[in-house]
Amino acid sequence: MSDAAAVPFGLTVSRMRAIELENVRRIFRTTTGVLRRRTKEVVALDGLTLSVGEGELFGILGPNGAGKTTTIKILTTLLIPSGGSARVLGLDVVRDAQRVRRSIGFVFGGERGLYYRVSGRDNLHYFAELYALPPREIGPRSEELLAMVGLRDRADEKVEGYSRGMKQRLHLARALLHDPPVLFLDEPTAGLDPIGARELRDTVRGLRERGKTIVLTTHYMFEADTLCDRVGVVNEGKLVALGTPAELKRLVSDQSVVELEVFGVSPEAVARLRALESVDSVAVEQRELRQVLRVQTPLGERAVARLLEALGGVEVGRVSVREATLEDAYVRLIGRIE
Amino acid sequence: MTNLLRVLVVSMALELRQLATSRFMLFGVIVQPFFVAVTTMFMLRHRPDFDPVYVVVGAALSGIWTVILFEGTWLIGGERGAGTLEYLVAAPSSFMLVVGSRLVGTMAFSLVSMALSWAIGAWLFGYSIAIAQPVPFLVSTALALVALWATGMVFAPLGVMWRTVGAFLSTMEYPVYALSGFLFPILLLPGWSRPASLLLPPYWAALALHGTSSGESLAFPLVAVWGLLLLSTAAAVGVAWPLFRLVQRRARADGTLALT
Repeated sequence: MSDAAAVPFGLTVSRMRAIELENVRRIFRTTTGVLRRRTKEVVALDGLTLSVGEGELFGILGPNGAGKTTTIKILTTLLIPSGGSARVLGLDVVRDAQRVRRSIGFVFGGERGLYYRVSGRDNLHYFAELYALPPREIGPRSEELLAMVGLRDRADEKVEGYSRGMKQRLHLARALLHDPPVLFLDEPTAGLDPIGARELRDTVRGLRERGKTIVLTTHYMFEADTLCDRVGVVNEGKLVALGTPAELKRLVSDQSVVELEVFGVSPEAVARLRALESVDSVAVEQRELRQVLRVQTPLGERAVARLLEALGGVEVGRVSVREATLEDAYVRLIGRIE
Repeated sequence: MTNLLRVLVVSMALELRQLATSRFMLFGVIVQPFFVAVTTMFMLRHRPDFDPVYVVVGAALSGIWTVILFEGTWLIGGERGAGTLEYLVAAPSSFMLVVGSRLVGTMAFSLVSMALSWAIGAWLFGYSIAIAQPVPFLVSTALALVALWATGMVFAPLGVMWRTVGAFLSTMEYPVYALSGFLFPILLLPGWSRPASLLLPPYWAALALHGTSSGESLAFPLVAVWGLLLLSTAAAVGVAWPLFRLVQRRARADGTLALT
C-alpha cells in the first residue's frame, strides 16, 4: 500500500498509507422557508483526494467552511460521503465502520462532548468501558493518561469546573484510552491560552514520536509549520496545495511581504493596490479600528513608495517588510484572510 | 457477555448520577408525585370507597411515566446538545445498548417516586399501606417497569429523528395518566377512548399494579395482563431495533449527529 501519489505543485509522498481519500464528495442539503420549503445544496467536499502515511502528522489547513471538519467526520465514520471512497488503515469508513472505530481516536475542538456533572476520571472510565478495555487496565490506563495531560490533581472534580484547556486535554486523554494507531484532532488548540496550546502541541508531538498517525486541522499556521510533516490546504472542498511546510513556503520564496497598518482603507484603495503590476496578492485583516494590509510582492522595500502612492490619502501607520511565511503561502493560495 | 453487562452497569450508573443532579427530573420524580398524592388524598379521603393504596400506586406511576416519557424522548437529543452523541456513536459498543442501559438507569431512578408515594400515604397521612398480593405485585412491578422501559426505547429514536414527534410525545404526559387509569378508573372516561387505553403499555402496567396492590378483581386475568405487558415489551423492542439503525444511518447520511 505504498504510493507516490501525484499532488498539486508536483510534490510527492512515499509511505505506507494509513488514510486514503479518493475523489470524496460530500453534499449537505438544507431547507429554507416554512410554507414554501426550498432545498439548498451545499458542496462541502468536491472530489477530495489525498493520502496520509503511517506515522505521519498531517495538517489540513483551510478557511472556515473549506471542508476540514467534514473530512475529519467522514474519516471518523460520523458522516457518510456522498461519493468517492475513504479508508483508514485499509478499512472502508462506510462498510467497515465498526472496525475503523476501534482503530481511531478523535478530538473535536471546543468545550462540549464531555459529561459535565461527573468527574474527569469518571468520564474516562465510562468511555474506557464503551471501548471494551479490560477491567484491570481501565484504572492504570486512566491514571497514565491523566498524568500525561496534566489532569491527575483535578481528576476527581466535576468537569463543569474545568477550564477550556482542561476540557480539551481531557478530550485528548479520552481519545487515547484504547491506544488507537490513528488520531484525528480537529482544531485541538482553538481557544486555548498560549501556554495551554503549547503544552497540547508538545503532547501531540510526543504522540507522533510514539508512531501515531495524526491528522490535525488548525487555523494556526505556525502550529502547522512546527508540528506537521505535511500540510494539505483545502478550499471550497478541494485540495489546492499539498506538501511539507517548507515546500509550501517555497511557493512564496521569491516574495516579500509589506505590512501596512492603515485606518479606514476603502475597497477602492485595496483594488488599486491589487491592480499594481508588482503586487501578487493583498490580504486585509481587520483589527478593531485599523486594518493591516499584507501585500505580497517580489520588490520588497522598493515597493513601499508605490504602495503608499496607490493608497492615496489613506492614513498609514506602521509599515514593515519581512520574508514570506507559511501563512503568506496560505494567503496566496486561499486569497483572503478570515 | 461480560462486556455487555459492564456497559449496562456503567451506563446505568452514569444515568443515575446525571438524573440525580437534574432539577427537572428531580421535580418529575419527587415533587410531582408528592403533589399528586397529597391533593388526591385530600380530595378523596372522605369518600367511603377511598383506597389509599390506589392513590399511592397511581402517584408512583405518574412519576415513573413522567421520567420515562421525558428522558426517553429527549435522551439522544440531550446527548447531541451536549456534544457527546458523536463520541457515543463512534464508540465500538452498540449505541442501542448504551441508550437502553441509560434508560434502565432511568427506570431505577423512577422507583424513587414509588417509595415517596408510599411514604406520603403511610407517614404523612397515617394510612396502612398494605399490599394485598405481595408476590404478584412485585412481578407486576418488574413487568411494568420493563414495558415502560421498552416504550422509552421507542421514544428515544423517534424523539430525535422527528422533532415534531418529540414535541407531540412531550404533550402526552397527562393524557396518558388519564387514559391509563393511574388515578381513576378509565370507566369514568367516554367509551370511545377505551381502544386508545388498550393500546397503551402504561394502561396494562396500571391495571396489574392496581389489581395486585388492592386485591380487587381485574377485568382481565392477571396472567393475561402480564402476558400483554411482555408482548408490548417485545413489540416495542422489535420496533426500536430498526429505528435505532435508521436513526444512526440517517444521522450519518444527513450530518445531524452534531449540532455544530
